[in-house]
Amino acid sequence: MKKIEAVIQPFKLEEVKEALKNIGIDGMTVIEVRGHGRQKGHKEVYRGQEYQVDLLPKVKLEMVVPSSRADEVVKTLVTAARTGKIGDGKIFITEIAEAIRIRNDERGETAL
Amino acid sequence: MNTQFAAELEAAREEFFRTGDSNAVFAARSRFVDDAVLDAYTEFLAPAFPDGIAVLAVGGYGRMELFPHSDIDILLLTEKGPHSRDAKEGLSCFLKAIWDSGLRLSHSVHSVQECVELHEQNIELNISLLDERFLCGTHAEYARLQERLPKFIAAERQTLIKQLERLTNTRHGKYHGTIHHLEPNIKETPGGLRDFHLVWWLTKLADPHRAAPAWLEGLSDAKSFVHSLRCFLHYQTGRDNNLLSFDAQESLVELPFIDASDAAGLMRQYYRAARAIFRAATRAAEESTGKSSSMLQSFRDWRSRLSNSEFTVSRDQILLKTPNLLEQDPEAALRLVRFVARHGITPGADTERRIEAALPAIAAYYSEPRPLWNYLQEIFQMPLAMQGIRIMHETGLMGAVFPEWREIECLVHRDFYHCYTVDEHTLITIENLLALRENKNRSVQRFQELLQEVDQVPILMFALLFHDTGKGNADVSHAQESVLIANHAMERIMMPEEQRETARFLIDQHLILSSFMNSRDLDDPSTASFLAERVGTIERLKYLTLLTFSDISAVNPSAMTPWRIEQLWRVYILGHAELTRELDTDRIVPDPADHAPRSEFLEGFPKRYLRTHSHEEIESHLLLERRSRAAGVALDIVKENGVYRLTLVSTDRAGLFASIAGALSSFGMNILKAEAFANRRGEILDTFNFSDPGRTLELNPPELERLRVTLERVTLGKIDVKKLLLSRPKTSAPSRGSVIKPTVRFDSEASASATLVELIAQDRPGLLYDLASAFSSSECNIEVVLIDTEAHKALDVFYITSKGQKLTLEQQAKLEQRLIQVCGV
Repeated sequence: MKKIEAVIQPFKLEEVKEALKNIGIDGMTVIEVRGHGRQKGHKEVYRGQEYQVDLLPKVKLEMVVPSSRADEVVKTLVTAARTGKIGDGKIFITEIAEAIRIRNDERGETAL
Repeated sequence: MNTQFAAELEAAREEFFRTGDSNAVFAARSRFVDDAVLDAYTEFLAPAFPDGIAVLAVGGYGRMELFPHSDIDILLLTEKGPHSRDAKEGLSCFLKAIWDSGLRLSHSVHSVQECVELHEQNIELNISLLDERFLCGTHAEYARLQERLPKFIAAERQTLIKQLERLTNTRHGKYHGTIHHLEPNIKETPGGLRDFHLVWWLTKLADPHRAAPAWLEGLSDAKSFVHSLRCFLHYQTGRDNNLLSFDAQESLVELPFIDASDAAGLMRQYYRAARAIFRAATRAAEESTGKSSSMLQSFRDWRSRLSNSEFTVSRDQILLKTPNLLEQDPEAALRLVRFVARHGITPGADTERRIEAALPAIAAYYSEPRPLWNYLQEIFQMPLAMQGIRIMHETGLMGAVFPEWREIECLVHRDFYHCYTVDEHTLITIENLLALRENKNRSVQRFQELLQEVDQVPILMFALLFHDTGKGNADVSHAQESVLIANHAMERIMMPEEQRETARFLIDQHLILSSFMNSRDLDDPSTASFLAERVGTIERLKYLTLLTFSDISAVNPSAMTPWRIEQLWRVYILGHAELTRELDTDRIVPDPADHAPRSEFLEGFPKRYLRTHSHEEIESHLLLERRSRAAGVALDIVKENGVYRLTLVSTDRAGLFASIAGALSSFGMNILKAEAFANRRGEILDTFNFSDPGRTLELNPPELERLRVTLERVTLGKIDVKKLLLSRPKTSAPSRGSVIKPTVRFDSEASASATLVELIAQDRPGLLYDLASAFSSSECNIEVVLIDTEAHKALDVFYITSKGQKLTLEQQAKLEQRLIQVCGV
């Protein structure tokens, strides 16, 4: 099983959720986060005051999928989340040792 | 469990599901538990405690209110604790036997002495003894407790009451002090069973021999209703569960004894019951603290001096001097609310009853158009406005004055995020807005500053009051429905049209900033244009931002996350920057075929002009323009709400804006806001809002005419403003601590043809003239100006050119120095 974590632009959330739902991925965790990439944020100006905005609001999605589907999920994510501009975000994939459904102790991929 | 008891409990269960009668459940369960305890005592406890032990039921068990899965609370009274091996063994077997009966037992072992001591860290022990009931055991022990307990209670009454208050405040605070939770914990939330217990305990503490007050009897229906809900929850989940979840609500509606066709109807009944219990708890708490310290009494005596011809203040409560005042004079109800909002004193129980009795008369009175808006504005601006608004809601006055409000009273609107009913959410939005004033949280200080900058907070409060009224109609978009509803109300209360327009806009667009936060690419330039187009003016953007902040914060206690604060601020800055940019770039361009005088006059003004002036105002400016053709200048000075507004039309020339500002300053006037626009024909339309701190114009009427003549002559260049300013009154410097450090920012990208200059500085009389003169002496021409002040802060936006071009970097540097110097105090 693979855990896919994707940090995306907030306005892309609905589009990404819909795209994942269309390929049968319903379960995910969505977290509001703040962060920056290599560009280290930018300067905002308001009323003559300049201030550095280092951490921009983003949205992070986490989902665990069968390893056989990981590529398909990533491809769908990228297509839906991409605008082609700086700030589109990143995806990380890690290996998952076990998954357990709390309600009935189901384990492995069937627990997903 | 023996079969007889099993049968009795099952019969009680069936009876309950048929009739909702929880008393049968209590009786059956108490009998069963009493029997189990007696059996276990006889077999295990009595032999192990030869010196005597008494078993008392306490808490809910003592009251004989045992819900299907309540814990069983018992207290074992013995002088000699379980120190011996036999005693420990006996106690262990006793407890085991009861657990084996299927009961969840909570026990404590105490001596009589311990029971009549104050336990600050375990006040629950003292309180539980208020409900004690002898079950079995040695009477001698119990007799000693019966003798000493009343004396203890009498001696420690005030301490016990204070501790109960403390516990209650903590509990209420955990549930945000409101009964209006969509999925309430019917035991713990305000208005739940714990509040009924509070009433019960306070009554017992007041005087254990006194009969229960009459108003307590009036709670029996509310209590029975909540009892039946709790019984159901226990049966449904098979445990001590008190959460009236959405699922439970749906299931309850299916039961024959529930008189509601849907969950919304059920919850309305629940909130009515909870409100009655909550108010009783509040009343009981107030009456308990009546026997108070001399210091509190002195405070109350002082407050009683606030009494007036209509209202008496006694023991910190408002009483009506004339019992049927509200029926005779329905407007007195709002005067009462105003009194609450001014002084923070609440109506007494009798006054509340009289308000409720007068509601039909009040509703009939306010169903006709009345000039109510002035009253409401006053209430909204009072120091304790929220208390007044809450009293209106709790007494039903809100629904009497605004029948539209009844559609959302106790309305449950289920979604994942909202945790309050619609009416409660609405009230919390207003609370959140007003709470911004005192908020010390750095992350929201930016919004606090916005609140200080907006002129008409009452309009914003009105918009919040009505923004979700449309949710009562599930079939349509609630924003649009809310606008329709608000329109009826605004017409009835005779709100001026200009203010209605703002309120309509805010209600109609109250979701737009949230939508931009979540679903727009904020880095896309078209997003900024689209936002600016939707919002129209910087003023509206500020109102909308504050409304959105208040709305999101009221969804649930943790809704306004740092993420959302940041995102909302980003949207605000985006809109602000675009609307500021548009002052210069977005100009009125009429149809080339249109040669009407109006169109020719408007051509070249920023589009903002159309958004911030009504049709009537534009017509009056056209008239001014016509008048100005003969004399070269025409102006009007009017006074509104304590502030003067000068509108002036003339032909543009270098230094004109500075001259007008200087002329006003020479009369000691303080410029609060200003706008200066020029059209394509080179005609200027300048508007100055100014105050008269020295009351010169008010106390010397001829001075107004002299001001008018001076302004005309200054505009035509017939008077040198510098000479006028020589006789300008000196102003005192502000204290060091309050001085605002000036900041100046240049932006050459904001406009295609001019440089944007944004300036923040310490406001002072004459500042605008000095700034405008600095521009003028630096060979800069002011194309567009937008001036605002917030308390002591001047917030100025200028679009500047020099010889028709943007400023070079060198010019900017020199000008910046000059401006900072001018701003220095």
